[in-house]
Amino acid sequence: MSLEMLQPIAVELSICGGAIVLLLVDMYLPDGARKHLASLTALLLVVALYLSTRFDGQGAIGTVYFGSAFTQLCKRLLIVATLGAVLGGRDFIAKVAPRRQGEYYFLILMCLTGMMLLPGARDLILLIVSFELMGIPLYVLTAFVRDEASPERRLAATKQAAEASLKLYLVGAASTTVTLFGLSLLVGGAGSTRLDALLAAPATPLHIAGLLLVLGGMGFKIGAVPFHMWVPDTYQGALTPVVAFLSVAPKAAGMATLMVLSVKAVPSSIWQPALTVLAVVSMTVGNLMALPQRNVKRLLGYSGVAQIGYMLLALCVGGSYALAMLLFYLCGYVVTNLGTFLVVHAVADREGDDSLDGLSGLARRSPWLGLSLLMFLLSLAGIPFVIGFWSKLYLFMAVYQAGQGWLVVVGAVLAVVGLFYYLQVARAAYMVAPAKPQPLQVEPWLAVMIVVCLLLVTGLGAYPGPLLEVCQQAADALLLGR
Amino acid sequence: MTLGLCLILSAALFCIGLYGLLTHRHAIGLLLSLELMANATNINLIAFSRFRGDSMGQVFALFSIALTVTEVVVGLAIVILLHRAYRDARVGRASEFRH
Repeated sequence: MSLEMLQPIAVELSICGGAIVLLLVDMYLPDGARKHLASLTALLLVVALYLSTRFDGQGAIGTVYFGSAFTQLCKRLLIVATLGAVLGGRDFIAKVAPRRQGEYYFLILMCLTGMMLLPGARDLILLIVSFELMGIPLYVLTAFVRDEASPERRLAATKQAAEASLKLYLVGAASTTVTLFGLSLLVGGAGSTRLDALLAAPATPLHIAGLLLVLGGMGFKIGAVPFHMWVPDTYQGALTPVVAFLSVAPKAAGMATLMVLSVKAVPSSIWQPALTVLAVVSMTVGNLMALPQRNVKRLLGYSGVAQIGYMLLALCVGGSYALAMLLFYLCGYVVTNLGTFLVVHAVADREGDDSLDGLSGLARRSPWLGLSLLMFLLSLAGIPFVIGFWSKLYLFMAVYQAGQGWLVVVGAVLAVVGLFYYLQVARAAYMVAPAKPQPLQVEPWLAVMIVVCLLLVTGLGAYPGPLLEVCQQAADALLLGR
Repeated sequence: MTLGLCLILSAALFCIGLYGLLTHRHAIGLLLSLELMANATNINLIAFSRFRGDSMGQVFALFSIALTVTEVVVGLAIVILLHRAYRDARVGRASEFRH
């Protein structure tokens, strides 16, 4: 075994190593210097992004891992999402958990390592280990309790964190056990842990049961209905920077894993009906449940459930074009949702009010923040000409071309319902008089990250071409490669 | 002992665990139910490995045990947090958000 063999996972290794160094550095840092850990993390992520251009990341490691244009795209997307969440939440974390910053960034980096290994995993053991490497840090991250001076507020913060993490943990641990049970049936049937052996295995009832159990476990991680019970409570209770991370990166990784499994391991006749049901139910429940919500984080949680429903539409259609459009949708979703949560973070955590009323008069208190929020909401709703419009348009086109016109009709009707609650948030920001008239201050790095998201959302909306091309290449690489 | 019997045993264990998971109100009881379900997986893996005569199932079982243990450790930590917040580890207490 030579070192060159590890070239496809060089970026993951550097992040994992960097995370361990970060934890060691944290031990010897004086309390006042801990705020630099965020900068160290960000630096590490930028270096990883640079490394991902230096190493082409192509090629296989035995039968366990296969790097291609697909894994490269997923990795970069995940690093960018993490970078946004880390820098956006930097000052807040330094304020509410000053002594625990080392653990916080270590957990985020470990989670990132797991996520980055997922799209290239071609072996069930690597798949489930990376899946857990992604999942377990998230349980801990949602359990972070704000430091509060007074005992009453401290207790309230503890209750919030306990509820948020408990909901995520119970559903998460249950779904992991269910996935593992499903995998044990699959391994027994196929006699091997390789994904291509699963595709070749005879479709016995045991095998089909295993595949459906695995689909259930994956459905949890992306928050599809009926595995979405944790989403609203966890989103409401966890720290907003954690939610910003949780709502984009693990969902992207989970979606990429589902893509790999559906292309490489599962005959399409078995998952397709189940995926169609998941997609339609997720879109419907997500959009309808978001309507009455008054808490912004909760509302965005249900909106995320609905967005996953749209992506599952493309997944149940399958084929090179639909998968490319799914990747494009995923990129758009990551950038937009990250931006939305960062704006909510900038407003709600400063005011200590994460209800819709907390956003009231945002456009008057900080015009650029109001404009950013409006653009992100329009993109989530799919209004021209931001990125969300193109991703919905192309996605629906791909589904229509595959002869599933009725799915497009369902999706389009529910997108109109979605428009209603997105505009309700925008209405609070633009039409309602502010509760407090004074202008809103935003920390510099958070502002930079929001502006970057805004530029990406509008820029990619104006020129979607290059990204579309990259996504098409990635989808082809997934279909044609090992 | 045949493969079929082992699979029935593991399916029974899994269902008992699932039943416990759905009916228990105490967080520790939920963790125990999860353990039952995880052990059903391990029995499956080892039975397949034994009756097929290869070692892949055993390797997978080792990984599966390690994963379950890490998960339960985090779970216990969350139970402690829950107890700290409510002086009680019944999960029904922690549902304040919906109100």
